[in-house]
Amino acid sequence: MINDETLGRQLRETVPYIDDDGFTARVMASLPAARRESRWLRAVILLGLALIGSGVAYLIGAGHVVREGIIELANFPIWLLLVFAFGCGLVVGAFAVIFAIRKTPEVGDLTRLKF
Amino acid sequence: MELTDADLIARVLADDDQHAFGELVRRHQSSVRGLLRQLTRTDLALADDLAQEAFLRAYKNIRSFRGEARFSTWLYRIAYNCFREDARRRKELVGVDEEQWQAEQDPRSIDPGLRHDLMHALSLLPLNERTAVVLCCQNGLSHDEAARVLDIPLGTVKTNVLRGREKLKRTLAAWAPN
Repeated sequence: MINDETLGRQLRETVPYIDDDGFTARVMASLPAARRESRWLRAVILLGLALIGSGVAYLIGAGHVVREGIIELANFPIWLLLVFAFGCGLVVGAFAVIFAIRKTPEVGDLTRLKF
Repeated sequence: MELTDADLIARVLADDDQHAFGELVRRHQSSVRGLLRQLTRTDLALADDLAQEAFLRAYKNIRSFRGEARFSTWLYRIAYNCFREDARRRKELVGVDEEQWQAEQDPRSIDPGLRHDLMHALSLLPLNERTAVVLCCQNGLSHDEAARVLDIPLGTVKTNVLRGREKLKRTLAAWAPN
């Protein structure tokens, strides 16, 4: 009788590689549309809420605070404005880096990054 | 840098990235289609239709993949369920198109005569034994993984593999080295 080792080897070796031959394309064509509309909707909702919130804040009397803040900012010396702009840039940049890291799975494992 | 299955799945989950899912399909299409061809023993078109359905279900339910098992094991389970549902609908499993089957085989590394006899012997096994042998001995799943794919007890998988292999050895006795 054929032995276990030979049978195991033959079984493994009889597994054929099946060429894709358009299979992946057919699967991709059958997938439902990606959730683009939900992301678009989310952006619209967030923007809408921000606008409504700003409008409400202005109407209940916070508008003059913003106006006065901008006027005060305009009176600042130029070097202070530069420092302020630089600080804002750093904060925005830090948020962008954090967001990019969270969106990139490879960065979760630093050992897999190639420089 | 080659992305792992886990990376690709993460991209599908985060951004509904269909290109990432396409890469997963490309990677696993051969083994999933191969498994279904073994199970159906019949026209390759049916096996491919089931494979397509399996990948579609995988895409729709990818959030339920918790990463406890390998992605391929999870896919096999979906493919096996597709096969079972289809078999239940048809109420029968049809015969083997042996010529078409043989045309698909890789002719390089194994004696064509032995391959023919092995595939024929495999097709003669009862479905439960054939499935267990294909998953464990051909696709390299552990008994535990196969038990999860087939949703049967571990002991049953071991028994089916053992019985299937014994029957294959008996059928292929003429090929034993002298």
